[in-house]
Amino acid sequence: MRVTRREILKGLAAAGAGSILPLAGLSGLAFAADPGAARPLLLVVHLRGGCDGLHLISPATDENFIAARAAELRVSADGPDAGFALAHGPDASTDFRLHAGAAGLAELYKDGHLAFIHAAGLTNATRSHFVATDMIERGVANEADLARVPSGWLARGIGSSKTAAGLNIQAVAAGGVIGGDLAGLENVIAVPDLAGGLAPPGGPKIGSVLQQLYAAAPGEVAAAGRKALQLMERIDGQLPRDAQTHVLPYQPPEGAKYDAAADFARPLKVVAQLVKMELGLEAATVDIANWDTHEGQAGRFRSLTERLSNGLIAFWNDMTPFHDRITVVMVSEFGRRLRNNKSGGTDHGRAGVMAVLGGRLKGGRCYGTWPGLQAADLDEGVDLAVTTDYRRVLTEILDHRQGAKGSHAFPGYPYPGPLGLFA
Amino acid sequence: MSKPPPPDPAFIGLALNRLGYGPKPSDFTTFPQLGFEGWLHQQLSPPAGDDAETNRRMAATTLKIHYMPKTMGPMIDEMRPLSMIDAPIETLWPILFDHDKPSDGNEKYRARDEVTAATVLRAVHSPYQLREMMVQFWHDHFNVDAYGSEQVSVALPAYDRDVIRRHCLGNFREFLEAVATSTAMLYYLSNRSSRAGAANENYGRELLELHTLGREAYLNDHYDRWRAVPGALQGSPTGYIDQDVYEAARAFTGWTVEDGTRLDGQRQLPNSGKFAYVEAWHDGYQKRVLAQEFDPFAPAMADGRKVLDLVAEHPATARHMVTKLCQRIVGPEASPALVAQATAAWQKNAKAHDQIAQVVRLIALSPEFAASRGGKVKRPLALAASFARITGLDLVPTPGLMFALNNAGQRLFGYLTPTGLPDDNGVFLGTNDMRYRWQLLLGLAQNSWGTGVCEPSRVMMPALTLADGARFWLEVFSTPVEPALVDAMTAAVGGTAQQPMSAYLGQPDGERRLATLVAMAAMAPAFQTS
Repeated sequence: MRVTRREILKGLAAAGAGSILPLAGLSGLAFAADPGAARPLLLVVHLRGGCDGLHLISPATDENFIAARAAELRVSADGPDAGFALAHGPDASTDFRLHAGAAGLAELYKDGHLAFIHAAGLTNATRSHFVATDMIERGVANEADLARVPSGWLARGIGSSKTAAGLNIQAVAAGGVIGGDLAGLENVIAVPDLAGGLAPPGGPKIGSVLQQLYAAAPGEVAAAGRKALQLMERIDGQLPRDAQTHVLPYQPPEGAKYDAAADFARPLKVVAQLVKMELGLEAATVDIANWDTHEGQAGRFRSLTERLSNGLIAFWNDMTPFHDRITVVMVSEFGRRLRNNKSGGTDHGRAGVMAVLGGRLKGGRCYGTWPGLQAADLDEGVDLAVTTDYRRVLTEILDHRQGAKGSHAFPGYPYPGPLGLFA
Repeated sequence: MSKPPPPDPAFIGLALNRLGYGPKPSDFTTFPQLGFEGWLHQQLSPPAGDDAETNRRMAATTLKIHYMPKTMGPMIDEMRPLSMIDAPIETLWPILFDHDKPSDGNEKYRARDEVTAATVLRAVHSPYQLREMMVQFWHDHFNVDAYGSEQVSVALPAYDRDVIRRHCLGNFREFLEAVATSTAMLYYLSNRSSRAGAANENYGRELLELHTLGREAYLNDHYDRWRAVPGALQGSPTGYIDQDVYEAARAFTGWTVEDGTRLDGQRQLPNSGKFAYVEAWHDGYQKRVLAQEFDPFAPAMADGRKVLDLVAEHPATARHMVTKLCQRIVGPEASPALVAQATAAWQKNAKAHDQIAQVVRLIALSPEFAASRGGKVKRPLALAASFARITGLDLVPTPGLMFALNNAGQRLFGYLTPTGLPDDNGVFLGTNDMRYRWQLLLGLAQNSWGTGVCEPSRVMMPALTLADGARFWLEVFSTPVEPALVDAMTAAVGGTAQQPMSAYLGQPDGERRLATLVAMAAMAPAFQTS
């Protein structure tokens, strides 16, 4: 069932009364040292629409795969469009190939910064975008739990923190909309772009009118306005400006080639700028949408994969001084059907690919168990089966970054222990 | 029974804001004369098409188009009238294939921009405000994205006019078929390329999950075990499973668009953009949807129509649709009793030509509606239109305004996913949203995007000083009048509280400053909600 923001607020109020287990991470407010202190940052990249993991990393030499898929919907091991070979792939008996459009990811993998987990996903078999997205973001395995767990896994995983100095900006939703994974976190800002600055419109005099209009007014709009004014002020003052006080365009270092990522560059640049401001940022989310390729997948998938790959390597190269602090995890609500449809696309399936990028990662290899593509191996006889619960990957990351916070994020999850992603 | 007392101004504000795009000053006179029931009656049975005044404005409106053609040629930079709104799809479709004229994406997306401009004009000027609100409700419900596909853009005038507007207060079953056979939806959810053998499940799934039964009725645990669905063996399954999605997708194979696709060695489809049914692409074998058996080789389109019958009459659809209508009209606190009452009305009127209007009427007349003031955050278009209506701004739609609405979180006809823009206050209250909401009001007041000169003095009570003006608008927008606030507002327009208003009216930019004063009052929390 769909839970509205109002229900989330109600749920959080109830949690304040000290009742619900799933909110343990939020009810234990931590008082951190100072907002400028270096904090680990977890960036979650949402591939919205259901990314076809079998097209991102194909079992190129698997006979069942070749039989089920049109050639343009799989990565091949030879020919002009051959994909990148993956050392230490999901299964030693098959030649797994990374999509030819993912040169950046191939480089990060080769350099040991990036790991893949194939056949990962929800243990629940929903094939609905919206149910699957809600369950992943809220961090639950049963749909019924959506009604009981109002906050997001990422919010619980990092926990609300306050500083003696006042407000720090704990998280940013750089897609512009605060997703379910950050639901329940207090100091989260949604900013799709910093190019125009973040001052209130009309100058400081109108700004002071806004302060008065919102200072004591009741209701959720007034609360949202007060928070907006406060957070905007914190960020806007740190943006570099020219002599006419216009915000200067963001200047990434030489090696960070964001242009090749097209529109996926914008949210990544927002995150990079905020990291450099040292606002105490602990979590960030970015979206790359349009993976719902029911039709004409070949060209669309290539273009998306290029943007994804170019964006992530640009961000990584931009963040060089911060590599030890940063972990990036990539997740999609589900993978897609093994067999393609007659529209040249694929329909909703089950397992997909997760990726983890980070400075202290044992990258350059794939983790998890490859389930195989024989009829008996498939989920309901049609889809790649899930062998790694997405929560296992996220728990391991949280434990590594925050020190055993993973259990707060996924209450009730019988964590089988780490995959061994980190050094 | 005695006549109900005339509605007070607060109720008029609620009714016009929630069931339309906000009151005009004149509504405070005309609405009490009609009474709420009289007003509703008028609003729920509007004549087809627009009124003469709105038509006149549409005819007088031009919208800039500006681009450098990809082929050699001069820069295109002109103000063009809205010529596509009334055009049939076969007239617009050739734009997609026009290789002779200097053409470009701007031409292909022009249809979308014209519908957007017309939508803004109607929101501000149409006397049939409730229809405009319902049109937006259904565009959200049966969402298509005219930014992601040039075919959807070219199909948008027909979709808006012949599907959404024609059925927005009508019968849901008829509405569903109009959507299912619309070029816009056939492209957006890609059913147009669905073929027997391996059907494209996109439309079939969203029909069940979003358009009709709703995700509450997705009984995912049963996957393909249809007999396990409660009620299935009695022919009345309480919900649907993935197998129903697969089978519904098969039922709609062959529902496509005349887009010139080759059928075989000799024949090809015409290229008109109109609906087509291609028997050769249809999967004719027997099917089972929602525990109903479908015989093999039914007549043309019968399988798809049978699916539409089944989902339209399903009780879960009635609950899902009524819950959404209550959420839009009353807000999140609609009681189970109201939902049950409206659901019964939905089902009782399943065959009525005005099924939707009857349900809207019932919800609007509930005591819960009257008690719901302030419970809904205005969507950005409503924020802009209600500001224009109350200040008497003769709003002209421009690309700059569309961009400003987009920034504030409502890209009209451009929401990517088939859920449509959510009807949830939180969506509009992020840091960035708040900033751009304030910007939207200020930009309209200051004519930043060429939307027209805002002259609030025309609709104001006479006021002697700037402070009087500030107080007037704060009161209109139900915001507490604090002396310090009044001082800050008058200072922000470069004056003092006691400065005579007349001094401002005489100055070249006087009205602009006054309008800025009004915009500040509208930035207050109270004007952000309905």
